[in-house]
Amino acid sequence: MTNAIPFPGPALRSDADGTLVQRFDRELAIESRMLGKRYRRAWALSDVALQVPTGAVSLFVGPNGAGKSTTIRILLDLTRATTGEAMVLGHSASAESTWVRRHVGYVPEQLDWGYGWLTVAQLLTYHSRYYPTWDDAYAQRLSKAFNLQLGQTMRTLSKGQGRRVHLLMALAHRPPVLILDEPTDGLDPLMREGVLETLVEHIAESPTTLLISTHHAYEFEALADHVSVIRHGTLQAQLPMETLRERLRRYQARIPAQWEAPTAVMKALLRRKSAPGEIEYTLWGDETELTAVLEQSGATLWNVSRLNLSDAMIALLDPDDGKQSLRSAQEDSRGIS
Amino acid sequence: MLIAVDPHSPTPLYAQIVDEIQRAVALGRIAPDELLPSVRQLAVDLRINPSTVVQAYRELERLGVVEMRKGLGTYALRKKVTARERRAIVREVAERALRDGFRYGVTAAELLEGIREASRTALSKRA
Repeated sequence: MTNAIPFPGPALRSDADGTLVQRFDRELAIESRMLGKRYRRAWALSDVALQVPTGAVSLFVGPNGAGKSTTIRILLDLTRATTGEAMVLGHSASAESTWVRRHVGYVPEQLDWGYGWLTVAQLLTYHSRYYPTWDDAYAQRLSKAFNLQLGQTMRTLSKGQGRRVHLLMALAHRPPVLILDEPTDGLDPLMREGVLETLVEHIAESPTTLLISTHHAYEFEALADHVSVIRHGTLQAQLPMETLRERLRRYQARIPAQWEAPTAVMKALLRRKSAPGEIEYTLWGDETELTAVLEQSGATLWNVSRLNLSDAMIALLDPDDGKQSLRSAQEDSRGIS
Repeated sequence: MLIAVDPHSPTPLYAQIVDEIQRAVALGRIAPDELLPSVRQLAVDLRINPSTVVQAYRELERLGVVEMRKGLGTYALRKKVTARERRAIVREVAERALRDGFRYGVTAAELLEGIREASRTALSKRA
C-alpha cells in the first residue's frame, strides 16, 4: 500500500494487527481513514485511522497541539480534511454533516459561541429546536444538578458554568455519540467530579459511544475502555485498555557484566532505565515470552509489574530510542508474513 | 456496603471490585442472600464505567460468590474460603515480601527467620 500524498515523518502502519495501533473487528461508531490535514506547509494530521467501536468509552490522548481538536473538528465538519475521510455512525462527516451533527452531542474545547447576549434559558430553547430527540425533563434535571442560573446571560458565565451549559446541550438530546473535547479543562476538582458522575449516570441510562479528548488521561481512567494516543498528528497507539494493561509491562532485573539485551527485547522496548548491574525496561509484548527471553539472556528478573494509565501514556508518548526499533521490527515482520 | 477502588492502580478495576466483594463475602461483611448494589448505583458511586461493574459481577458469578437473578438484582451466596484460595492469598503475600526483601538484599531464609521472630515478639507484646 502506497500513499500518493507525501506525509511527513515515518509512515504509520495503520493496518498492522497485534501492534500498538490496532484495527477493531467490531462495529464502529467513529472511523477515519487516512485522515490528513495540512495547514499551509505543515501537516497537523497525517494518515490517522481513528476507530471508536460502538458503545465504547474511548479516550483520545495526546499533548497539546497533537491533533486531537483538529480530528474532532473534522468529525463535526467544522473544518475539512486535506486527505482521507471520516465517518460517524456510517455517515460521511463532510457529505452528510447535517445528519451527523444531529446525532452527535459535542462539547467544544473553546467556548466561543457568539450568543453572548442570550440568557441560558433562551440558548437552551433555541438549541433544543434543532434536535427532535431533545428530552426536556432530562434537560431540566441536568440544569438543577449543574446549578445553572437560567436567567443569566451567556457572556457573564464563568468558564466552568459555560462548560456545563455546553455539556447539558450535548447530553439532553441523548445522542448515540458524544464527543467531548477537553471537557474538564478549566473546571475545579469538585466540578470535575460532578461531570464524571453525570457522564457515568448518562451512559448507564442511555447507550452511548463516547469519545473524550484529553491531555489528562488519568481523570477518565475509570471510565474508559479504549484509548487512542496521538502525537505530532499521527496515531501512536489505539487499543482496548485491557490489551494495554496486558501487554505493557515494566521488567526489573539484575544483569551480569557485559550483558546485552536480546534482539526480541530490543524490538519490544519502549523505555529503559539502567544502572550498573540492573535494568528497568518498559516492554510491549507477551509477558511469558519476554520473561523467558530475559531469563535465557542471563538476566535475573525480580519484578514484572503493570503500569497505571499515566505511566503507560508516558511510555507511549515519550518512548526513547527503543521505539524506533519497535517500529522497524513491526515493519519487518509484516514484510515476512 | 462500602467498596473502595483505586482507579489509578495498575490492577484492573473489575479485578479490584471482584477482590473487594469476594473478601467482604468471605469475612461475612456481606451476608448470604444480601442484595448487592445495582450496576448503575455502584458505577455512579465509584464513578466508573457501568460495563466494568457488569464484568465484575459476571466474574463473581463464575466464581460462585454471587448470583444474578433476572430482573431482581445480584445477590451474595453463602461462601466459605477454600483451602486453595487461602493458599493463593498466602502465596501472594509471600511473593510481595520476597520482592521487597530482594530490594534490601534479604534472602528468603532470612525473611523466614525474620517473620518467626516478628510474630514471636508481636505475640509476647499482646500477652
